[in-house]
Amino acid sequence: MLNEKYKTNKPRKDRQVWYKLDLSANVYPTLQRKNFSSVFRLSCLLKEEVRPDILQEALDRTIHRFPSFHVAIRKGLFWRYLEPNRNPGPFVMPDIINPCMPMPFKSKHQHLIRIYYYDRRIALEIFHSVADGGGGMFFLKTLIAVYLRLLGHEIPDTFGVLDINEPPHREELEDAYLRYASSKIRLPRSQQKAYQVSGTKEQFHTLNIICGVIPTDKILAAAKRYKVSLTEYLNAVLIYSLLEKQKSDGNFRLKPVTLAIPVSLRKYFPSMTLRNFIAMIYPTVDPRYGDYTFEEIVDQVHFYMRYHLNAKYMNASISTNMSATRNLFVRIVPLFIKDFILKRYYMRIGDKQASAGLTNLGPQSVPEEMKEHIERFDVLMGQPFSAKTNCAVISFGNVLTVNFASSIVETDVEMVFFRKLISDGIPVKIESNRNMEVL
Amino acid sequence: MSYCVHCGVELDRTEVSCPLCNTPVNNPNQPIDINGKLPYPTLKGQVDPVKRGDSAILLTVVLLSTAVACGALNLLVFKQGLWSLYIIGLCALLWVFFIPVLIYSRLSIYLTILFDWAAVALYCWIIYYQFPVNHWFLRLAVPIISLLTAFVLIFTFAIRYFKTSILSTAFLVFAEIAGLGVGLEIFIRMFLNQKIHITWSAVVLVCCIIIDGMLFTILKRTRLREEVRRRMHI
Ligand SMILES: [Zn+2]
Repeated sequence: MLNEKYKTNKPRKDRQVWYKLDLSANVYPTLQRKNFSSVFRLSCLLKEEVRPDILQEALDRTIHRFPSFHVAIRKGLFWRYLEPNRNPGPFVMPDIINPCMPMPFKSKHQHLIRIYYYDRRIALEIFHSVADGGGGMFFLKTLIAVYLRLLGHEIPDTFGVLDINEPPHREELEDAYLRYASSKIRLPRSQQKAYQVSGTKEQFHTLNIICGVIPTDKILAAAKRYKVSLTEYLNAVLIYSLLEKQKSDGNFRLKPVTLAIPVSLRKYFPSMTLRNFIAMIYPTVDPRYGDYTFEEIVDQVHFYMRYHLNAKYMNASISTNMSATRNLFVRIVPLFIKDFILKRYYMRIGDKQASAGLTNLGPQSVPEEMKEHIERFDVLMGQPFSAKTNCAVISFGNVLTVNFASSIVETDVEMVFFRKLISDGIPVKIESNRNMEVL
Repeated sequence: MSYCVHCGVELDRTEVSCPLCNTPVNNPNQPIDINGKLPYPTLKGQVDPVKRGDSAILLTVVLLSTAVACGALNLLVFKQGLWSLYIIGLCALLWVFFIPVLIYSRLSIYLTILFDWAAVALYCWIIYYQFPVNHWFLRLAVPIISLLTAFVLIFTFAIRYFKTSILSTAFLVFAEIAGLGVGLEIFIRMFLNQKIHITWSAVVLVCCIIIDGMLFTILKRTRLREEVRRRMHI
């Protein structure tokens, strides 16, 4: 929630401006450990090598337009909150092999975003309390537009590029959950424990990335053959891979395979917010019913999504979570006790209810004039909380990328996933930071 | 373009083997591009160091000023006895305890415990300095503090170097309680110049041995351990 009206875009007396964490944002700092932060990465591959000095200049110009990204996180007695960050920076840095590193809240400059460059790539890493993927894309697109303008190209402010000479809109900084959570239904919370991928944990801090670059038209055609949407098809392929993995583990007791899927609520509830506005859904296939063919998995996922992806169900979901945080007893409990309870809850139940995460940011549109400079976008869900693998999908024009991020050595899930795509007639090109000599 | 013969995926020109299945790339028509631009950087990132300076300075200032103020009051205003020594000692004690948390976090945990041992011993010595009766500092305080420190060290070592469960930790705790009880009684009897034997600590010892016996059996039998875990889980 915004606690003071923005009047101008000039450096202002913003001592009094602070933001309460939104509904989703509250849980991420709780999970913060020395070796874990909820950080995700959005990146863009340009057609020419990135010039760091120009990028820094672009960043300096862009960041003022996005006050909710220029923050530090602080502790109150009962809740955490975000405060404008007046430290120098953020500064662009050469990219690293192990992205989505932990982001200590008390580091020197306390920024909750990082910007990297490598060769032709610009990458933006965001602590999840600041924004979700949808909000982050506005920042990245605007940054790239400003960068390209500095290189002398004409780029208009359309298709997700915001005008940096305009003051931030009030609605961009709102907690949209507060505006829309109105359902009277409370959904049951308990879920079955899902199958957990067992693997050899990598040493701290390694993030293994396997990126599949896929022609969008080919994968759309494949999804069409199964008569489902692209997201449904990809979900089905990931569930299929996890089911295969569980079979090969040879466990005596099978568990349901469940995906945790964040859904952007902007489609269902119009809001310009740049902060978090997502809800989770959990499509599941339970092998205890018997062996599922791939077609049956596709059906399961398809009907689950059709049943759950609508404004009413999403509203019930966020209202349920909202009622917990608005409960008077919950509110008056000191923060450290909240942290303790929430962390335990997450470790025992929250983290165990999904076998993997999958997010699809969907097709990205940019101004026509920008298209010729961009080759593709990538999104990386970041380090998984426990030993699993996360999958993130984004597409731009005819290039769709599937990025797996995992902190385990084994690649079984990824291998079955991409082989399934190949067997469905979809060509896949793989890039990876595995097997690379670390300097 | 090279493809993995096993997975069928296209690979980057710089790739030596397939990242999915580790099958080496072998394409006579297109050798691996050793000098090509890699898809990912090779630079390894480090986590930003945490700034703890502020709270450390604050703590030091608060403790130091408390100590100095009390010392001055003792010398100038309330001159009966050396009461300020207790407070000064306490400040020093607190400061030493907070070293690993606030001031120097990379200090080895064992060294930290030894420092804490020294700080507690120093504080006891300050009290002893005011009440030097019967050499209690050397004969009672130092042995007890040392015993306690030794047990804390053993506990820390076990937790850090063995894979401990709740059950095995409980086993260790009860073993240490027994040891501590016996040690305490022996030291007290030595201090009072009594004959060395154990009475009340024998009760503690027996209880702990029974409990540890149970725990040991449970730990050794997997089936039993699972049962206990199921029934006792919190
Ligand atoms: Zn392969």
